[in-house]
Amino acid sequence: MNTESSVLISVRQVTKTFKKNGREFCALRDCSFDVMKNEFLVIVGPTGCGKSTLLNLIAGLDFPTAGSILLNGETVTGPGADRGMIFQEYALLPWRSVLRNVELGFEFRKSEMSQSERHAEAMRCLEMVGLGYAVKKHPGELSGGMKRRASLAMILAIKPVILLMDGAFNALDSKTKMTMHQEITRIWETEKNTVVFVTSDLDEAVKLADRIVVLNRDGSIAAILRNDLPRPRLGSAARDPDFHHRFIAFREMVMNIIKKDAGLRTCAIS
Amino acid sequence: MAKPNDTRQTNSSGLIALIADRSFYVLGVILFMIVWQIASALKLFGADFSEAFSPLAAILALVEMVKNGELIHHALPSLRRVLLGLSLAVVVALPIGVLVGYFKRVEQLTYVVFQFMRMISPLAWMPIAIIIFGVGDVSVVFLLWLVAIWPLILNTSHGAGRVSPLWVNMAKTMGAMDIGILRKIIIPAAVPDMLTGLRLAVGVSWIILVPAEMLGVPDGLGYFILDTRDRFRYDQLMATIMAIGMIGYLLDSVNRWLINKFSWKN
Repeated sequence: MNTESSVLISVRQVTKTFKKNGREFCALRDCSFDVMKNEFLVIVGPTGCGKSTLLNLIAGLDFPTAGSILLNGETVTGPGADRGMIFQEYALLPWRSVLRNVELGFEFRKSEMSQSERHAEAMRCLEMVGLGYAVKKHPGELSGGMKRRASLAMILAIKPVILLMDGAFNALDSKTKMTMHQEITRIWETEKNTVVFVTSDLDEAVKLADRIVVLNRDGSIAAILRNDLPRPRLGSAARDPDFHHRFIAFREMVMNIIKKDAGLRTCAIS
Repeated sequence: MAKPNDTRQTNSSGLIALIADRSFYVLGVILFMIVWQIASALKLFGADFSEAFSPLAAILALVEMVKNGELIHHALPSLRRVLLGLSLAVVVALPIGVLVGYFKRVEQLTYVVFQFMRMISPLAWMPIAIIIFGVGDVSVVFLLWLVAIWPLILNTSHGAGRVSPLWVNMAKTMGAMDIGILRKIIIPAAVPDMLTGLRLAVGVSWIILVPAEMLGVPDGLGYFILDTRDRFRYDQLMATIMAIGMIGYLLDSVNRWLINKFSWKN
């Protein structure tokens, strides 16, 4: 009973197929797993295996062909502000300044917040992601890393219970990526969100995850792995030789699961 | 040759280079005037009229028309008609354009009709306009409205149609309703295309204005063209043509400024 109450998202026997050029593709095949409250769950797998689809289903932007997705025990029927999604590409509005982008979420909802409270809250979120110095800039003037930070602040402002992150740190240089890992870990620890994070970068997965869901190429689940590496895992902690050894070993294990699957199956069911 | 005031030199030489660069625009106008003047001196426009058709005569007539208030007397009604036609066109075209751009079915329903309608010169509607609205201002404004709505509708729909689905999805995950998505995402995203549509609409309206004002209104630049012809004042006719071109150029400049100011770039 106790464990039951801490389940936040429940993915139950979810299958999702798409029609493409007249042929049917199976993006997700009979997937079942739970996401616990305040958990950092990472979904990994080869490209095109349905990771992003899974996230879209949780976000409510799309619906499963079979099976169901429950949020607090209730079926997801559409998008909601309790689930903030950070997309693979930047979703910043190019005609608004960074600050006005972060304030966007407030404008969609009736709230008792005054203009100055909104402004203060947006500033707090921008400070949190380390963008307090660039609030007047427009998205076109930002670097890739700054855009990620701005998108993150935009989502944090709506105070989502769940952060859905789809390849959020792809295409960042390794130094920026490292900083973003520290930022997201810190935010997750202080804001007590639940994070579902999709990536194809195993290093990233092992650094961030409480648990890792490994997807097969055919859209089925290969394994769900508990990541027992102690936190903090970033910065100076990562240089400890014992930690490093365990880190590599765990990463190899995930890698082997993915390799075993590679090339053996196809997604098409004609 | 490093000098202490190197930067200032680069700045001032940059300014000179800019002025030199821009002077080619002015040079083009001057060359055009010279060729025009020579052509009239050589009586290329016919022995009787060439002198009246020369730029010098036109400029003198233009100065005279500015001084005696004739230009303002005819330019103001023209501008009023164009602005009224444009405003009414904007009011009708922007909502239609957004609907056409955003809903695929509305686009399919309207595509053939709109493409068909926009190819018809509004002057073809002239007799019908007169039957319905009678001779006068209303008919002129109707024709201007009719020519202005097509570029506005088509450009607005283009803008609303290329709104990134990413923005819409993001807004949805933030809890936005359809109205919020429309107000905060689709309309602002379409603004650059709306302004491009406005620029095209101003251009065609100004062009159609002259023949439309030959419909029996008692003032306006189009009317004045016919009036100068009837009074054999060909220098004034040329001056009016000059004024039409200049005002059109100014209107277009205002539009280009608007586009620069309010367009966002990715």
